[in-house]
Amino acid sequence: MRGVEESSLTDVAAVLAHIQAQLDLDRETETEVLEEIRSHLEEAVAQARSRGVSETAALAEAAARFGLEETGAKLQQTHAGWGTAEGVLAAALPVLCALVLRWLVFAPDGTAVGWPQVLLRPAFWIVAAVALLVPLLRFRQWRYAVAIWAFFWVITVIFLIWPAQRW
Amino acid sequence: MSLRDQIRKGSTEILILSLLAERPMYGYQISQELQRRSGGYFDMKEGLLYPTLHRMKQEGYLTSEWREVSPARRRKYYVITDKGRQVLSEQAVEWRTFIEKLLPLLAPEPGSAEDS
Repeated sequence: MRGVEESSLTDVAAVLAHIQAQLDLDRETETEVLEEIRSHLEEAVAQARSRGVSETAALAEAAARFGLEETGAKLQQTHAGWGTAEGVLAAALPVLCALVLRWLVFAPDGTAVGWPQVLLRPAFWIVAAVALLVPLLRFRQWRYAVAIWAFFWVITVIFLIWPAQRW
Repeated sequence: MSLRDQIRKGSTEILILSLLAERPMYGYQISQELQRRSGGYFDMKEGLLYPTLHRMKQEGYLTSEWREVSPARRRKYYVITDKGRQVLSEQAVEWRTFIEKLLPLLAPEPGSAEDS
């Protein structure tokens, strides 16, 4: 992100906008984070003003002391960064669910059961639901869960297209 | 990153826990206290406190609560948890040990100048 220009910092809202532009969080988290930062900046400005500094200079000083660029990036990483567990979940869960589904679709002798029969099996719907619900509960943003679910279906289709294997 | 910045970065967590062990504080207050008590030595980018505070909260060292300061304004206060106090105690021991072991190594040994 290019450096913040002082001329663009007209008020606290403008400063917050710089930070908000770096965030991609769920609405509730973002609102709370920005409110906390707003409170900080307003108090920093008020303290500078109490020393006789002008409004513009106080705002610039508060923004400089705050560290807009570094803070935005760190906040995003803190609230939306993936840890090892999330990475493993995103990679392994769709594959595992697709393998279970493949076991359900293909009969033990390797012949396909057929989709009408598969769709009647509660286990099919349970596996499909698990592949969606677990990521939804784990990840803060629903788009990650949807992407993982889509990956699950892609793998499932691939498994079904490949020649049936005896289990 | 300079050595001083690395040291500051590595000590941020214990500094925050130490302050909050005294009483709950909000972010701006924490940054001001750190600066005041250290004589300006711990003068970091104030905003970088928040990712650390939020991470510490995620790890269970802190909790937070909003408090109304005026009808249209509120502050988020951070409160140390029992787990946070335990971590503070452990880290304090580590830091004291580190300093105790470091200082003698920084002082020249008696007679070493004659050997060289």
